[in-house]
Amino acid sequence: MKKIRFIITIVVLAFITSCSSDKAEIDSEYPVIDITGANAFPIQCSTISRGQTITFKATFNDNVALGSYSLDIHHNFDHHTHSTEVTTCEMEAVKKPVKPMLFINNYTIPDGVKTYEATAQITIPADVDPGDYHFMIRLTDKEGWQTLKGLSIKIL
Amino acid sequence: MKNAQFLFWNFFLLISLLISVEAFSQNQPSEKKPEIKELNEVLVNGNSIEKRKKEESLNVETVNNSFIQRNLGGSLMQSLQKLPGVKTISIGSGGSKPLIRGLSFNQVIVVENGLKHEGQQWGADHGLEIDQYAVNRVEIIKGPSSFIYGSDAVGGAVNIKPLPLPSQNTFGGSVDLTGKSNNALFGSSVNLFGRNENWFFDSRVTTMDYGDYRVPTDVVHVYSYAVPLYKNHLRNTAGKELDFHLSTGYSGENLKSVFYFSNVHTKSGFFANAHGLEPRNVDTELHDKSSRDILMPYQQVNHLKVSNTTSFQLGDHAFETQIGFQNNFRREWSHYVNHGYMPPIYPEDMYAPKDLERQYDKNVWSFSAKDEFRLNRHQITIGSNVALQENEIGGWSFLIPAFTQFNAGLFAYDKIELNEKWFLNGAIRYDYGKIKMKSYYDWFQSPVSENNQTEMEYLQRSQDLTKNFDSFTWSIGANYNPGKLSLKANLGSSFRMPISKELASNGVNYHYFRFEKGNPNLDAERSYQLDLGMEWKSQNFSFQLTPFANYFPNFIYLNPTSAHDVYYGAGNQVFEYEQSKVFRYGAEFQTRYYFLKSLSAEIAAEYLYSEQKSGSKKGYTLPFSPPPSVLFGLNYEPQISFLREPYFSVDYRFTAQQNNIVPPEKKTAESHVVNLAFGTKVKTGKETVSISIQVQNLFNTRYLNHTSFYRLIELPEAGRNVIVSMKIPFSISR
Repeated sequence: MKKIRFIITIVVLAFITSCSSDKAEIDSEYPVIDITGANAFPIQCSTISRGQTITFKATFNDNVALGSYSLDIHHNFDHHTHSTEVTTCEMEAVKKPVKPMLFINNYTIPDGVKTYEATAQITIPADVDPGDYHFMIRLTDKEGWQTLKGLSIKIL
Repeated sequence: MKNAQFLFWNFFLLISLLISVEAFSQNQPSEKKPEIKELNEVLVNGNSIEKRKKEESLNVETVNNSFIQRNLGGSLMQSLQKLPGVKTISIGSGGSKPLIRGLSFNQVIVVENGLKHEGQQWGADHGLEIDQYAVNRVEIIKGPSSFIYGSDAVGGAVNIKPLPLPSQNTFGGSVDLTGKSNNALFGSSVNLFGRNENWFFDSRVTTMDYGDYRVPTDVVHVYSYAVPLYKNHLRNTAGKELDFHLSTGYSGENLKSVFYFSNVHTKSGFFANAHGLEPRNVDTELHDKSSRDILMPYQQVNHLKVSNTTSFQLGDHAFETQIGFQNNFRREWSHYVNHGYMPPIYPEDMYAPKDLERQYDKNVWSFSAKDEFRLNRHQITIGSNVALQENEIGGWSFLIPAFTQFNAGLFAYDKIELNEKWFLNGAIRYDYGKIKMKSYYDWFQSPVSENNQTEMEYLQRSQDLTKNFDSFTWSIGANYNPGKLSLKANLGSSFRMPISKELASNGVNYHYFRFEKGNPNLDAERSYQLDLGMEWKSQNFSFQLTPFANYFPNFIYLNPTSAHDVYYGAGNQVFEYEQSKVFRYGAEFQTRYYFLKSLSAEIAAEYLYSEQKSGSKKGYTLPFSPPPSVLFGLNYEPQISFLREPYFSVDYRFTAQQNNIVPPEKKTAESHVVNLAFGTKVKTGKETVSISIQVQNLFNTRYLNHTSFYRLIELPEAGRNVIVSMKIPFSISR
């Protein structure tokens, strides 16, 4: 029966030692999209006029290093998706798109930056369908953690 | 939580105390007979399972259908989760994928009736197309088994054994009935078998119909958006299943030939508010009208298998040939949502129906032959297998190209019985594989800028590409069985050919809303693994420890990058296939102690550690890494005169937190879940009816499972679920 005691001791030891390991610190934090600043644009429920050039402004933060970001404006005439924001905006009735605006672009962020003031110029063509749109901000950090922000906006 | 933790530690202390005290005192030997199962009037002796374990140097776990009935889950792998080292990637309540020691997808293979199951294993939402009622015995190999099965078996194998043949001159059957409270499931499976002297048949029809499953919360947070749930129902997770099986053939003295036919059909919904990790607005009135309807998005899968296995004896040689065909037809339906530069309105003259998001159609032809013979102390098996695959794609979206694939392998293994105590195992295998991917162009135009000029173009998603792979794998092992103790060790290599998704994917994965990009330069994945096993078995005490260490010089890994794709990817994050060195180790531990003949306690624990040792995610773990967990169980099997084999058991599973994550995973908190199970057999006339009742998640605990398909969108696991199942055998004549 000594054998059993020996075995049990080995097992317990094996478990205890295997549970503690020497692991280098890895980044497990998401980057942050901050649109609470006074000049951040657009924000939830912002309105934009056709034919105008708007300036996107937001502050990005990460604990180690930011990666890149993409912006995307697509119609929400069918009310298909939700914004990630708590407040809801007044929506028009569901309608069929004819010539909805579609904008997708990606932007680089300088290497090794922890805080970045993002700005980007976007021209809204004069001939697109007015109505409810989504403004999506996708931000990654160097390691590939991604944060999304989906804003409801209106093009007038 | 605090309370539960306190209980857990108390329980742990109590059990360890009892074990140590009892183990040192000499016990009255209780009579534990080897398990003898009556199945279709055929006796399957527990001894053969024991024997296999003692002679096989890899770690093998075998369970039979009574284990499945007692632990019945929504799908086969969910029913096997109680085994340490075996977990699942669950897709709602009716589907799951095997996860053996943290590996899944194409790294674990499933074999049914000797035929390698070929579905669309690469998708996290693609459940295993196996009818668990048709499973009689499953063998799980927790380790590299490429030398037996060829490419893909790097992580392990789930081998569903053929049904035992009905005994001579019988005609009978059984009816299985199952009901579940959580998702209002009703399932039935009817079996009919018969045999005269040499000719036999065994058939089965299984149906299942279930509603949306319920979780212990009325609101879930998909990203930061709160989705209210109607009456705790996870919107649109209902499903149904209809399966047919027939095996028939001839069994004589020197020749046995069996034809297997099966068709498994499932239709199941995806959680409607998050098709692709994008919080979606749904018509709640439409969706919440009924908890049983399956609306979009949903998947429909049909898996057909036809095969013949013939074995015959020629002198000292036992030959076996197998020829098989399977077709996996998978369709994913979802409302058309234009993304990237797709037109806002779906064109009327499109080749695919409007709501058909994806379609995969796979045909596989396979042939294998082997010869088993004895040479003095050597039991030698040589053989080869060949498989040809043809894959077509459809639907309006693109992720992987159409492709054809050819695989062939040659193997030899040798089991040497040195004496009663010592066995040696050795195997070598050579494999060749060729994969040929087809070119694909977008069906819509995207703007491409060149020299300050923007032109609209049909972008090419994939190119004609042919890749060849070959590999040499080996395995050596030893078993030493001095009485109650048995020891085993095995060192082996395994390999896996990259799949078309890894080589050539170039599209959006809607479930995870990310852009996935293949890498045509990938090498075949290799793996080296050391497995050890230590088992002690006495009349009232058993104990098993199975540690392993595993190294991949070039693990194929889908790496989240910091880039975004602006074309097809609609601005989504790009995930690209890469290869990295990976080191993994872990262990499973199981022990059972009989306090009395009728009362036993068990502990089953598992631990796994994985780390990427090179590449972009150096220092990170691998995705879907199961956290450590311990299961404590008490089992009471009293002698009650009018009942046969009654049992009552309580299980408590503690799952530790998982803080070892890799993007885009989230840390998962620890969980405490209690399950109850009880049942019995009742003799009515000549037949014995068995009844099993389970209460899963007894306290309706709200918890997240780190390896669930829905983990990323924070969907909790199912709440309390009462499962009643019954098996009623009948014999028509004998």
